[in-house]
Amino acid sequence: MVSIKQFIANRPTSARALATLVATIALLGLAIIVDPLNDTYLATASIMAIAIVGLSLLIGLSGQVSIGNSGFMAIGAFTTAIWAQHHAHFPLLGSMALSVAVSTVAGIVLGLPSTRLRGPYLAGMTLAFAFAIPPFIQSLGTFAGGSGGLYFPTLQTPAWFASAIGEKDNPLAANNTWGAAIAIVVAAVAFFFMANFFHSRSGRAMRLVRDNDVAAELVGVNVARTRVLAFAISAAFAGLAGSLLAIIQSSVLPQTFGVALSIELLSLLVLGGLGTLGGAMIAGLIAAYSDSIVSRINSWTGIDPVSNLGGSLKGIIFGLILIATMLLAPSGLAGLGHRISRFVRSRVAQKKALSVSETP
Amino acid sequence: MIDLLTSRVMGDIFLGVTQGVLYGLIGLSLVIVWQSTNILNFAQGAMAMFATYVGMTLLEHGLNYWACLAISVAAGFVLGGATERVLVRPLYGKPEINSIVVMVGFLGILEAGAIAIWGGTSRMIVSPFSLSYFQHNGKTIFLSPFAILQIAAAVTVMLIVAGLFRFTKLGLQLRAAALAPEVARLLGVRVNRLLTLGWALASAAGAVAAVVISSGFEGLTPTNMDVYFVFGFIAAAVGGLESPLGAVLAGVLIGMLQQFIVDYAPPSWASFSPVLILVVALMIRPQGLFSKQRVRRV
Amino acid sequence: MNSQVPRLAFRSVSVEFGGLRALSDVSFDVSSGEIVGLIGPNGAGKTTAFNVACGFVAPTSGTVEFPDRGVTQPKPHDLASIGVARTLQGVGLFDHLTILENVMAGGQIRPGGGAFRGLLGLPSAGRSERQLTADALAALERLDVAEFAAKLPGSIPYGIAKKVSVARALMGSPTLLLLDEPASGLDERELDEFATLITSLKSDMGVLLVEHNMDFVMPLVDRLVVLNFGEVIASGTSSEVRSHPEVLAAYLGVEQ
Repeated sequence: MVSIKQFIANRPTSARALATLVATIALLGLAIIVDPLNDTYLATASIMAIAIVGLSLLIGLSGQVSIGNSGFMAIGAFTTAIWAQHHAHFPLLGSMALSVAVSTVAGIVLGLPSTRLRGPYLAGMTLAFAFAIPPFIQSLGTFAGGSGGLYFPTLQTPAWFASAIGEKDNPLAANNTWGAAIAIVVAAVAFFFMANFFHSRSGRAMRLVRDNDVAAELVGVNVARTRVLAFAISAAFAGLAGSLLAIIQSSVLPQTFGVALSIELLSLLVLGGLGTLGGAMIAGLIAAYSDSIVSRINSWTGIDPVSNLGGSLKGIIFGLILIATMLLAPSGLAGLGHRISRFVRSRVAQKKALSVSETP
Repeated sequence: MIDLLTSRVMGDIFLGVTQGVLYGLIGLSLVIVWQSTNILNFAQGAMAMFATYVGMTLLEHGLNYWACLAISVAAGFVLGGATERVLVRPLYGKPEINSIVVMVGFLGILEAGAIAIWGGTSRMIVSPFSLSYFQHNGKTIFLSPFAILQIAAAVTVMLIVAGLFRFTKLGLQLRAAALAPEVARLLGVRVNRLLTLGWALASAAGAVAAVVISSGFEGLTPTNMDVYFVFGFIAAAVGGLESPLGAVLAGVLIGMLQQFIVDYAPPSWASFSPVLILVVALMIRPQGLFSKQRVRRV
Repeated sequence: MNSQVPRLAFRSVSVEFGGLRALSDVSFDVSSGEIVGLIGPNGAGKTTAFNVACGFVAPTSGTVEFPDRGVTQPKPHDLASIGVARTLQGVGLFDHLTILENVMAGGQIRPGGGAFRGLLGLPSAGRSERQLTADALAALERLDVAEFAAKLPGSIPYGIAKKVSVARALMGSPTLLLLDEPASGLDERELDEFATLITSLKSDMGVLLVEHNMDFVMPLVDRLVVLNFGEVIASGTSSEVRSHPEVLAAYLGVEQ
């Protein structure tokens, strides 16, 4: 009889696959149960979690701060949208793969200067990139929809799915659930790969480069290539998230992918916890539910949601949380959970030790 | 001679320089902050915007333009100093990402806060200077009285900053405090106060830029400084974050380059040109074009 | 004379930093089975010599060669693959990785660590990683510091951290070991342990070390190379060097 611990130690990939499968089934079940509105939230959470875990790899593992991942999301989203616009046939997986490929290339191109730049220079350069992308897309003209964006039908809920979940007569509900299901499955696969990478030797190479690049070179890590690789993978995940967003929303607007989105990604990542998978999942959920939480706060405090204050409340709260997290709990919510569980465990251990010593 | 002034090339140069001095000014304030505290202030533009709102909305209450400008600059000075005291001081000695995240968070608060207080719609700020270009023989010289104010304001601020840094004890102390805070402390320099002053000065200089920018065609909005921050950063980075003069020169250069690209190249190039300039400049000299510092590896 | 092909050879290496000559016409070599000490007063060019050897600094003229591998002036990240390991001044550990992970980092170039394998979590990557973990634990046990495996570098004593950095260097089974000030910051007992450790290593590899602590270096090394103002002023056994007039002058400021 092999214990669970041994199984995880000896077959880590299988263990991760199993955990992913269980989580996916649970989330799919949830998507079927909840109402259409919550289905869109689940889809948003999955999409944002993919983008955030990609950013987490870049910042948390490789130590390179990017405020440019909204640009990669835009590239992914518009690649998918342009395909959908100009082709009668729209294969889901094909368009996602193409988006990932294009944004990976963009990531490598933007990552190349990162081999020579550090800290604020790099962050500022990625910011300039994020800033340039929406006007660049607009300037491409009708091909990319200009400033009006692109609208296209992508999601067609298969009949078997609608009848399987008992929503044959309610196409809207079936469509939302189908969208959530796709987002959940794609996110699950993405997180599975990322979990593998976090625990792989390449993943460790990134942490080596982050902590001490000279020592990393001396153990044989090609520092330049590792930095670019981090950008490439991060951009691939952002591109995948962008592609999914386009598919779920059946539309893209260049203005959606401005610097504000990059700042939101960074805020959520810091809030969830840098360099952790769990943190990225929490951050995704917060991203999805932040609007409804803010509207709760609005109604609770009696602030008119269409007033100036009501409209900017989310931005203010986000900024405050970001600063407070960084100054007070730099390891984010995931780190906070970890700290609390460690504290509780040590207290329990203390009590046990006390009770043991008290018994003669 | 006058005919030359109405030529297309001269028009581009005028427009480019008018825009470029503003990039240079924001770049300059980023350099001051960087030199004194080794932090890239992502909220520099937003702080300037906020200070501009504080002062210039008083125009609507009948206050004189110059008085409003003075109040904006004072507000910028106070905001800069307070930011250093409250937000930045806990960040010294912490990893770089902490300061980046905090300043980005502050940027978010300032922009959202400005919408909350003053609304998101653009406000026109009417300066005593005409925005219309000079005419000659039915042709346009792309300079206006306002453009001359723009350039004059930028040059004035730069001269004041240069004077402070070069010719007063304060400048020397600021540089000493940044380079070797411990030594400076031993020599009796009040380092903490100087760092606050550095931020206050930078923020005041930024406020001048923001007031001038907001008095132009685009007016004042909570996000109107974003683009100037990006270009100001590019100017500072191309100039090599350490060099105030480098930032100013790079700003003017970028303004002109951008204007020539807008005028002569297809429109999709214009949006990417500054990023390309930045990338190319940094690839050639990662430490900036005007910085004397050598890059050290081991 | 040693008849075998040297592991490391400096051939007339000169380095200039903006007109300042840090090394001038430096030649020496290190063979397998010997410990060579590189000594000299502060600013003599010892660290520069190490940095040239590791490819962090390019020589202005001359070459650094690894003759037994036929490699000339490798890039720093290629050193591990030609069997060269270097420890850094201080401890040079990775602050946010556990001690075990720090030692595992020494096996970074082993096959099976590619990015795609990592993403897909292929069984071959897993096997290679498990072997690496076991080897790293064994290395820690050999140096008697296995109890610290789960700790972070910041929370362990300095002497232990130094041992860990040697354990990491040994993970790649090097044939040339470069030790940058191995004795600094260690107490008497730790110094003895370190001397024994380094001596035990030389049967498998050549060792080049930079050191200030003469009491530590003199009995340990087979040969010394003495640098002053970037030039080799003497080389030979400890006793030969000890009585060399130029060395005395350089160290004691004695006028001859």
